[in-house]
Amino acid sequence: MAAITTALLLPLLLLVLAGTLQLGALRVSAARVRAAADLAALIAVNDQDEAALARTGEMRLAGDAADVAREFFARELELSAPLLAAAPAEVAGAAEIAVYASAPATDPRTGARYDRPTVRIAAEVPLRAPVFGVLAFDPVIVVNVLAVSSPR
Amino acid sequence: MKSAARDPRGLATLEATLMIAMLVPLLFAILEFGSALERWLSQDAATVQAARYAGEVGGDTPEVRGLLADQLRGSGIDPSAVSIEIVPARVGWREPVRVSVTSQHPIAIPFLFSTMLPLRSSAVGRGEVNR
Repeated sequence: MAAITTALLLPLLLLVLAGTLQLGALRVSAARVRAAADLAALIAVNDQDEAALARTGEMRLAGDAADVAREFFARELELSAPLLAAAPAEVAGAAEIAVYASAPATDPRTGARYDRPTVRIAAEVPLRAPVFGVLAFDPVIVVNVLAVSSPR
Repeated sequence: MKSAARDPRGLATLEATLMIAMLVPLLFAILEFGSALERWLSQDAATVQAARYAGEVGGDTPEVRGLLADQLRGSGIDPSAVSIEIVPARVGWREPVRVSVTSQHPIAIPFLFSTMLPLRSSAVGRGEVNR
């Protein structure tokens, strides 16, 4: 009787296993896109206006910091393209990238106050979850990513 | 003979054996894949750090490989069993540099299969050395 019960429950257990593995894979994917945004924001912040730094001694972001952040966000996402449910360039293009070239500044989106020049990336990244699709859930999970970087 | 055939203890043992044969692979699948995902996360994090550092020092240097090896070792990954690629080897100012790390993670599910799962991580940094 116990063996029959187990055999009957086996499909359910396999579904639970598949769902668990999908959740784990999603966690890895979410960590990857967050790292992508973090690295892109960091790279953009390193893009300093060196003329202004030499002239005034103060750090100021370069004029193309937003473009650099978007470009590198797309490059980083490109490396995880199979995990995404949209094209990396499309995701990076739709990301809200704010550059606060001088400080202090207040971020209207988050309400955060920045005491140094800052680059902030906010993006909605759709991730593929094919197992959820099989289980009749939404096969695309959208992860909200927020990355903020300031120079030291 | 007749009473031995009707002995319910034999049936219970058989049922328990069948249940174990079905449930143990499930349990091990969760443990093994969980371990692989944890390792993948650690490897990703180490790769991001290495890409950042490769941009800072100008490409493929022993310092970058040393940092990566330390990070991997700290995560329980043997650096000598990992394939590392840093392209280009010498990066110019504001040029992208890509660090790729590939390792093999053994997966063994009792009664089903055992295989090597390739774990790949990549990240892009930006050259900060004005040559």
